[in-house]
Amino acid sequence: MLEALARKLKAPPRRRLELIEELGADAEALQEELERRGYDARTARRIAAGRVVPSREVLAELEARHAPRLGRWTRRTGVATGIERMGAAVTAVLAGAAMLAVLWRQDPGAAGGLLGWSLAGVVALLSSNWARAAKGLWIDGDLPVEKRRTLWERQVGLILAAVSLGGLGAAWQGYIALGAVETSSGEVWAAVQRVVFFGVLGVGAAAFGLLGWLALLPRLVTDEACERRISALVTLPFRFAGKRAEARRQ
Amino acid sequence: MQITLSRRINELLVLAVLEAAPAHGYQIALSVEERSGGLFVFQHGTLYPILHRLEAEAKLRGEWHGEGRRRKTYHITAAGRATLQAGAAELEEQFRVLLELVGPNRVA
Repeated sequence: MLEALARKLKAPPRRRLELIEELGADAEALQEELERRGYDARTARRIAAGRVVPSREVLAELEARHAPRLGRWTRRTGVATGIERMGAAVTAVLAGAAMLAVLWRQDPGAAGGLLGWSLAGVVALLSSNWARAAKGLWIDGDLPVEKRRTLWERQVGLILAAVSLGGLGAAWQGYIALGAVETSSGEVWAAVQRVVFFGVLGVGAAAFGLLGWLALLPRLVTDEACERRISALVTLPFRFAGKRAEARRQ
Repeated sequence: MQITLSRRINELLVLAVLEAAPAHGYQIALSVEERSGGLFVFQHGTLYPILHRLEAEAKLRGEWHGEGRRRKTYHITAAGRATLQAGAAELEEQFRVLLELVGPNRVA
């Protein structure tokens, strides 16, 4: 029962853990109580399950009740549909535009170049990836393990891409600028500035991606701890833990 | 806010049980069933949304006990007692009107 409930219930992990603990303990206690009153174990189990195991409608009611506040609001107002795509697109466009603006202000030539656009694209993708994770955590209430892993791997890839593009941009700027300058110290200094700027921009974009993910980390750690407890709970020798847990116990 | 009669009855049943003593969810369900002579039965986990709603409205307070295999006990709060009192009076009035309409001495 607990295994099935843990699988079906869509709620933030902390809430899911509490619900599974409460329902599991109640089902077990009710079965014991009924056995004390003379019911055989099988009948007591059937009655207890009938009283405690939520039907699909009750499960939906519990999910709605335990959804995050923001999630409840988006469902109530009807903005939930497509909010992930919309959020990801908006943050991507804004972050990409901000990156291009920074590049344009410092070096219009670099902003128009392939590396400049690529770096802006990477920042946009970092933001949209982060927005997807944030939507899962604060609107849906849960970021399933597979999705969490996919988003993190994508984030790491993009962080590495940002560093690489920054390095590549710096090298390219160095090659173009330093190759063309005369010996005057002013021109050399301007060329060095452009090189450093591109390098810093790449590292900055990577830090942006990393810090964004770090902001999610406390919640992700808590969720993972809850998920570990849920896994441990469904394998505890609860009478209602499930067939597999029961088999393990025997 | 207007709430359905069945929802109001369920809430009052839970509050009435908890007014006597704190209890676990399954004890509340058993108690309601026994005290009503089997007329009111919480099937398929229907009790839990009620408990959690009342807890969110601060009419109940849930407390966890034990380690490893924790259990949750519910206590009624002052707001819960007030709701029970007001709800019981409201219910009495609703049933009085209802019986006037459909009861054996109904007005034709």
